[in-house]
Amino acid sequence: MNFSPVNICLLGVTGLVAVGFYGLLTTRNLIKVVIMLQILVKATVLGLITAGNKSGQLYLTQSMAITVIVADTIVAVIGMAFAIQIRRQVGTLDTNDLSSLRG
Amino acid sequence: MTVPVWAWIIVLPLITSPLVYFIGHLGKSRGIFAQRTALLALAATWVAFVLAAQDLQLNGISRLMVGSISLKFDGLSLLLAMIAMVLGSFVVVFSGHYLANEDGQEKYYAMLVAMIGVMIGLGCTNDLFNLWIWFEAMAVTSYLLVAFYKDLPTSLEAGIKYLVQSAAGSVLVLLAIGLVVAETGVLNLDEIRQTAESSPALMAAGILFVIGYGVKTALVPLHTWLPDAHSQAPSGISAMLSGIVIEAGLIALLRSLSALSGVTTFWGPLLMGFGILNMVVGNLMALGQAQVKRMLAYSSLVHVGYMLIGLGIAFSMSDVIGAQGGFFHMFTHGLMKGLAFLAAGSMLYTLHISMGDHRPLLFDDLAGAAKRYPWAALTLSIALFSLAGLPPLAGFMSKWQIFVAGVDTHNGWIIAVVAFAALNSVFSLAYYAPLVNAVYRCEPSAIVLSGKRLPAVMKLPLMLMALGIIAIGIWPSLMNWLTEPAGTALLASLGG
Repeated sequence: MNFSPVNICLLGVTGLVAVGFYGLLTTRNLIKVVIMLQILVKATVLGLITAGNKSGQLYLTQSMAITVIVADTIVAVIGMAFAIQIRRQVGTLDTNDLSSLRG
Repeated sequence: MTVPVWAWIIVLPLITSPLVYFIGHLGKSRGIFAQRTALLALAATWVAFVLAAQDLQLNGISRLMVGSISLKFDGLSLLLAMIAMVLGSFVVVFSGHYLANEDGQEKYYAMLVAMIGVMIGLGCTNDLFNLWIWFEAMAVTSYLLVAFYKDLPTSLEAGIKYLVQSAAGSVLVLLAIGLVVAETGVLNLDEIRQTAESSPALMAAGILFVIGYGVKTALVPLHTWLPDAHSQAPSGISAMLSGIVIEAGLIALLRSLSALSGVTTFWGPLLMGFGILNMVVGNLMALGQAQVKRMLAYSSLVHVGYMLIGLGIAFSMSDVIGAQGGFFHMFTHGLMKGLAFLAAGSMLYTLHISMGDHRPLLFDDLAGAAKRYPWAALTLSIALFSLAGLPPLAGFMSKWQIFVAGVDTHNGWIIAVVAFAALNSVFSLAYYAPLVNAVYRCEPSAIVLSGKRLPAVMKLPLMLMALGIIAIGIWPSLMNWLTEPAGTALLASLGG
């Protein structure tokens, strides 16, 4: 494997996805959970740009990347709003304390 | 450029949704204003829907290019639009009393109308990335509706669980789209189908689509958000989530996988495998539940399993009967599960919510409810028996069509799968029957005796849906106009 720009980007995508999912599974803090989701989204943005570069459709994937950023900002905002509301109502951001629904 | 009539069934709900919110803000009783506006918006959309359905029958599939995005209105779009409109209208009527004492009703109706429009749009798109946009918009509206009771810790917990799992799933879908673009360089589903060849990258993309959309479709083991979200949301939203949102995820999955149908023949068996897993896990989990809405939520897993088996038969055998059966079950499940959630919701309303109490509805609460609430009990029982697949109700007919399609393939494996599904269907009586038993044969519990009267407006959607279930059970060919184009559309997109 050579260190061409495409390969470096692919390495970046894999690394970010790995970090994101590892973080999602291990962190207990709701704010960090939302940040991990954003890291995953950044991985896909990099992935889309790399895909556009490989297939020669860069203009297409760039516009997709911008749309993804906008759409996932909305998700991040709602996630943060839930986190704030949970902090107010439950008094904690720890996901371990959010386990009333089981079975 | 002339705008085809079907574009209006996407546009009308989307432009009226903010109007619902603002008009709801004008009056003192915000809920009533917002509800009436939402009903008007849906009535206008129904007119457009009828015209679009006629147009589809007369002139066939029609296409529209918006910029470089291609939209098309085919049988699958019609099916999804029909389920969304039917369920959405009943839920708006039902929610008037149910939410009467809550804050933020204008937001609820605005989001509900937007969700209906977004789901219809999801059915009409013919572009891989545009499909993701509609899917994400549907997810955003449903996050807010699930966590509608924003002061209840359980509701917030269900909301955040749903958001995190759903967002992680949508990231996987995006990665899959990236892989498809890298391999083929196009986003139009028809063009992908023509250019896609067997390659490891496209295999990986297909599997990522299954996992990503599978979160919303509640494929086991990606289903863990579902029982929480369905049980904590307001009952109208539970009906929407179970009756249409998970099915919309399934349609998105089918559209994406059918574009990759040339890559491998593995998709059909994969869908059937998930179908079996869903039936087994759903049945076993539903059996142990004490809460009515949680039991109904797990039973949704089982019914997604039946649909997956019908559609898996269509994928692996290019069998149009299997596809029609799967889509027929999608429609009847929307009616049955919608009715079950609304009937359970009407009891939850009279016994708990109207007293300002947000405890869940337990099986024991419903003991002897038939004596005091005969109509709610009757419609709930019709829904449950139809879900269990007892003739002559709608659920029997749609399951029957899937089983017949399976047996007709004369393939030993598929016949075994279908026989197993039939056994699961019988097994499901083990958790539906005790509830009917409790409602009819027990002495009324104290909580039932002290319950309020059920408002007539709430009974209306229940009775209409129950009538629909009985009518479709007796004349299943009533729905051919809906299921046949949908089956044909899926087969056409598989290249069969």
